[in-house]
Amino acid sequence: MNTVWQVAAREVRTRLFAKATIISTLVVLVLIVAGVVAVKIIADNDAGSEAERVGIAAETADLGPALSAAAESAGYPIELTETTTGDATTAITDGDLAAFVSGDPRAPVLLVEDSPAPELLTALTTAAQQYVMSSAITDLGGDPAQVGTDVAAAAPTVEALSTEETEFDPYAFIVAMVTCALLLFTLLQSGSLIAMGVVEEKVSRVVEILLATIRPAQLMGGKILGIGIVGLVQLLVFGGAAAIAAAATGLLDGVDLNLGSAFVWMLVWFLLGFALYAVLFGGFAALVSRQEDIGAVTTPMIFGMMAPFYLAIYLVPNLPDSPVVRILSQVPFFAPFMMPVRQAFDAVEAWELALSIGLCVVFVPLLVWLAGRVYSRAVLNTGGRMKLKDALAR
Amino acid sequence: MATLEIDHLNKSYGTLRALKDMTFSVESGEIFGFVGSNGAGKTTTMRIALGVLRPDSGEVRWDGRPLDLQMRRRVGYMPEERGLYPKMKVGEQLTYLARLHGMSAADARAAVEHWTEVLGVATRRGDEVQKLSLGNQQRVQLAAALVHDPQVLVLDEPFSGLDPVAVDVMSGVLRERAAAGVPTVFSSHQLDLVERLCDRVGIVRGGEMVALGSIDELRTTATSRWRVVAPDAPPGWADDLAGTTVLEADGDTTVLELGGAGVGAEQAILQAALAHSPVREFTQVRPTLTDLFRHVVSADDAAAAATEEKAA
Repeated sequence: MNTVWQVAAREVRTRLFAKATIISTLVVLVLIVAGVVAVKIIADNDAGSEAERVGIAAETADLGPALSAAAESAGYPIELTETTTGDATTAITDGDLAAFVSGDPRAPVLLVEDSPAPELLTALTTAAQQYVMSSAITDLGGDPAQVGTDVAAAAPTVEALSTEETEFDPYAFIVAMVTCALLLFTLLQSGSLIAMGVVEEKVSRVVEILLATIRPAQLMGGKILGIGIVGLVQLLVFGGAAAIAAAATGLLDGVDLNLGSAFVWMLVWFLLGFALYAVLFGGFAALVSRQEDIGAVTTPMIFGMMAPFYLAIYLVPNLPDSPVVRILSQVPFFAPFMMPVRQAFDAVEAWELALSIGLCVVFVPLLVWLAGRVYSRAVLNTGGRMKLKDALAR
Repeated sequence: MATLEIDHLNKSYGTLRALKDMTFSVESGEIFGFVGSNGAGKTTTMRIALGVLRPDSGEVRWDGRPLDLQMRRRVGYMPEERGLYPKMKVGEQLTYLARLHGMSAADARAAVEHWTEVLGVATRRGDEVQKLSLGNQQRVQLAAALVHDPQVLVLDEPFSGLDPVAVDVMSGVLRERAAAGVPTVFSSHQLDLVERLCDRVGIVRGGEMVALGSIDELRTTATSRWRVVAPDAPPGWADDLAGTTVLEADGDTTVLELGGAGVGAEQAILQAALAHSPVREFTQVRPTLTDLFRHVVSADDAAAAATEEKAA
């Protein structure tokens, strides 16, 4: 065990403090923080957009309160200013006013530059209709305010048979996407680091000295452990940066979301995904003898990672509860990508989670055995690329 | 300290028999030279000894027990294909290797300092291996084989690529280690060096040990050769001497072969020469390791030719 630790420590020392790693980590870090800030800005623009200035003529001022209320509820807040047609025309041309309302409150005239915002038009229509209605009620001897309250109270109550929440939650979606993307990035990065490390040792022939001293399993195990630690540190940094940036910008204020548990689950799935994929990268990389040939081994593996990733980000959010998703998310290689998304959508039962983790845990030793076999047979083979069949034979 | 035994190793790569019953042993404190042409099986033998390759049959023992991983950690190995992490600093790399062999951090540091001093690369400890010249990389590689205070040394061509000064340093190190009781095996094509350094030599050909013994033993032949320098002797003076054949007669110098006769038989040659002329030089001509090696290799060629003829 001590030997494995020595190997792992070397990997951590040479990888974590390598210039390339530090630079790429910083770049991703900047991207994450910038992304969070960008999302925040877009969200602000969407929700709390500034009130438009709308002018209103004195003779139409009675419409004012109703217009403001209607526009507000249509998601188009306005700020009313009393003005004259002459002033308003100039202001609209200059862009100081969005529109000008004038004329008889029963048939108001809306003056705009070219075309009115649909929300404003609807709001004005509603306001005018309300005005007509109120006048009619007053004329009939009724109380418009009382009628208004009654009308507002006349709403149906929905009683659904199914209690399941099917509402699309954009925040859960964002968290799921970020988790998936970070998983893919760190798994790809550590996978290729492992592959490159294995081939580097083969190319430089240092593997011969090492294997005269330690077992192939110790060498591969230490390498995977060390690079796993590097990946975990990166993931902690990235995930932490995303969480801190989100908290600092107040992006997730008032959103019912447990970031802490999302983060812990991301680490769990990283560990399982890493155990599944990293071992294979290590084993198969031993088949080639030159850095140029790495692609032949890693490309199929990268595609093998993309499939569950895309299924996770496209299929799961749309059908979080479908049988296909439920079954696929139990398959070891799919689980690390699909489960976090299902969890983010709250569409997973505890037993499903336990089962998929259990399956991964059972599957990992099998993979370790397979990859270890390929590795120890192939790692001293120099020259061309060794066929998988030959490495497994004997 | 104990004996390293290579016992009847066999290894085939497909149809090629790389080793045929390779057997020899190296005593404690002995330097064993492993000689043979390219592809004769030296490297294969060493790789098997270090557990890097698996033999088809046969065993490597140390101290009477099979050389397992635990004991292999006490072996200093220099592979034929040099290997170090190119982007790792010399000092860091050597410390790492020493620690892999089970040394404590403090011991490893001290050993790295010691061996880089001895091998003259102390000033390069902070440099990446790939920035060193080939010769200095070679010195670092040697340091890597020695850094963990090995109890056995197996070195594949430790002298190739070294300058004469480094060769001397390395020879000194090997002698010193052997004096400390470490059995040492090394292969080399620099036969003069092998002759100078080794207690015993094994010559391999086609995966088989064809000659094995101390240099003296190997140089002892059934017939002996003598060189006589007799300036005034007439040409052909030695032609009729009983039991001898003239191999070479060039001016003053005559080389004769004395077949099978016992000790003292050469005195007859000296007397015959003295009868004709003063004798300036009278020495036995012993075959050098190079001669022996050529002999073995030519036998190899002859055998190969014979096989080809059969095939044709």
